[in-house]
Amino acid sequence: MRIRSLRIGSLRLQLLAWVVLPLAGLSAINLWTSQRNALATADLVTDRMLVGSARTIAEQAAMTEGVLVATIPPAAIEMFDTGDRDSVYYQVKTARGRLLTGYPDLPETSRPPGTEVTYRGRRLRLLTFGQSVVGAGDDSPITVTVGVTLGGHDAMVRRLWFSAFAQQLALVAIAGLFVLLGLRRGLAPLLRLRDAVRSPNRSELEPVEVPDAQSEIRPLIDALNAYMARVRAQMAAQRRFIANAAHQLRTPLALLSTQASYALRETASDARHEALVALQASSGRLARLAEQLLTLSRAEPGSRRPRSDRIDLTEAARQVLETHAPIAVGRNIDLGLEETGPVPVIGDGTMLREMIVNLVDNALRFSASGGSVTVKLAVIDGEARLTVADDGPGIPLDEREHVFERFYRVAGTTEEGSGLGLAIVREVVENAGGRVSLGDGATGGLIVDVRLPLADV
Amino acid sequence: MRLLLVEDNRELADWLSKTLRQASYVVDVVHDGEDVEHALAAGDHALIILDLALPRMGGMEVLKRLRARGNPVPVIVLTANASLDGRVKGLNEGADDYLAKPFQIEELEARIRVQLRRANDRTAPVISCGDLVFDTNTRLFSLAGATLSLTPREHAVLEQLVVKAGRTVSKAALSAAIYDFDTDADPSAIEIYVHRLRKKLEGSRVQIATLRGLGYLLRHDDPAP
Repeated sequence: MRIRSLRIGSLRLQLLAWVVLPLAGLSAINLWTSQRNALATADLVTDRMLVGSARTIAEQAAMTEGVLVATIPPAAIEMFDTGDRDSVYYQVKTARGRLLTGYPDLPETSRPPGTEVTYRGRRLRLLTFGQSVVGAGDDSPITVTVGVTLGGHDAMVRRLWFSAFAQQLALVAIAGLFVLLGLRRGLAPLLRLRDAVRSPNRSELEPVEVPDAQSEIRPLIDALNAYMARVRAQMAAQRRFIANAAHQLRTPLALLSTQASYALRETASDARHEALVALQASSGRLARLAEQLLTLSRAEPGSRRPRSDRIDLTEAARQVLETHAPIAVGRNIDLGLEETGPVPVIGDGTMLREMIVNLVDNALRFSASGGSVTVKLAVIDGEARLTVADDGPGIPLDEREHVFERFYRVAGTTEEGSGLGLAIVREVVENAGGRVSLGDGATGGLIVDVRLPLADV
Repeated sequence: MRLLLVEDNRELADWLSKTLRQASYVVDVVHDGEDVEHALAAGDHALIILDLALPRMGGMEVLKRLRARGNPVPVIVLTANASLDGRVKGLNEGADDYLAKPFQIEELEARIRVQLRRANDRTAPVISCGDLVFDTNTRLFSLAGATLSLTPREHAVLEQLVVKAGRTVSKAALSAAIYDFDTDADPSAIEIYVHRLRKKLEGSRVQIATLRGLGYLLRHDDPAP
């Protein structure tokens, strides 16, 4: 269970990774560029302010009583008071290099844009601005240099960049969320399918119905349902067979029990002996029925590892006839084998022999005393042919397809057959890739015609 | 008591009827559903044992027709289908009892006795008339405590009389109840059986009275309680 949820989780993770990781990568590139943009913007703004400040200072420089005087208007300094505790440094010099006011060691720099320098251990953005002063003679033009520490500048970069960062982050998060939601929705039919299959109420192998399943999942469900339908059909056949088998065993068992009760109560030894002989015969038939049921269940496809022995049908038929000869002689039936040599086929030897046993058994059962049963083997048109002919009552045309059904018995027959013999024959023959048909004998009676593929010589 | 056994498996029918005859029942056997009506018309059967899986006409159909004609004869259904549905359906169609194969003959016999007892409005398994006692469980007659030895025919006649003790039983009714199909019914032979029975009952307090033109009647001399 843990493994299963982990697997489904990993599908989620996979899809999530495929969506979120590229998105995060793109976002990272985006963030880098936006950081650059923020920096450029902050530089520009700071430069504008520095130019503004320098210009304000320069405009205050004037000739007072023949002397060039520069005073620093407070506004030129206060415009940097953005709450970031920045320090402002300034310097006003004449064209001849005389310091009018400010910090003498402040490095001079180029015209706008400003540059970053380190001054007294602090990073400054510094900008120099030149302006001529009327009547100042050689002292004109004066240069005003203004520098400001980077507190406000950096704060601006941070602020600009942070909002971009937050946007990107929100974008990735929302995308991830939607992927998860979409997956959850998309995977829901798969999870419902899992629950439906796992449900403890599902003992009957009913088809699974998953509403709203996508076209990708639909084939999986259809395949599953088709598979379950096959299993269900097989199980139903098995159940029918077992019910039938149990049913078929009931009457012989009732007979056994009745015969035993009769023998127990009978005091005359002749009658008791007769009952015991009959009981022995009944139990023999019951044993044969059980054997046939077993054979049939073995002949079922999938119930036994398919074997491919190389079998000589002629030899197998000879063995079967030899074991049945005493019965034939006892009932005065002429049992014969007609063959022209080995007839090799490929198949399950035990099953093929059992098939012949059932054919001969049937033929003997339905032949009257004084009749004849002939087993013929030949190779005709590249096929192995086994025919068993009797001169019993035969089977009416409209019954011929039914007699291969399990437990089917021709109406009006008084012979105590199990109704399984021909079912076994067909099952075995078809498993070996052959076919079986019924025909009329030359002198009435029935001919069972079995054709099997010939083994390569 | 004459029973009709309807069972298509000839061997089972054969041995079942043999075993029931051992217990002094008169048993007729038919092998398919369509013969049931003729069989019933030809004999006076006290009970039918009916297999359901019959050729030509199924047992259920036989039962349905029987009840549709208003025939009240008790029917015990035998079947290889022991499912609840099958049992309920059988009982609903008018079966009196239901027995699934394979069964023990003892159980079938016990159920036969129950049905016969009910059909004659009796509750006790022992019928007595004077000092003659018929134990329906052992199916033996005893006279003044000693078991009475009877031939099957005598047994059948006396059983018929004792079940209807105090009532007249016609010769024809006796004949219909004691001969099975395999025997040529000979009404005059009944007189011989009655004669032998009278001899065996001599000295007891029960007598078989002849009512001329009507039949026979079993009665006893005990003073009315």
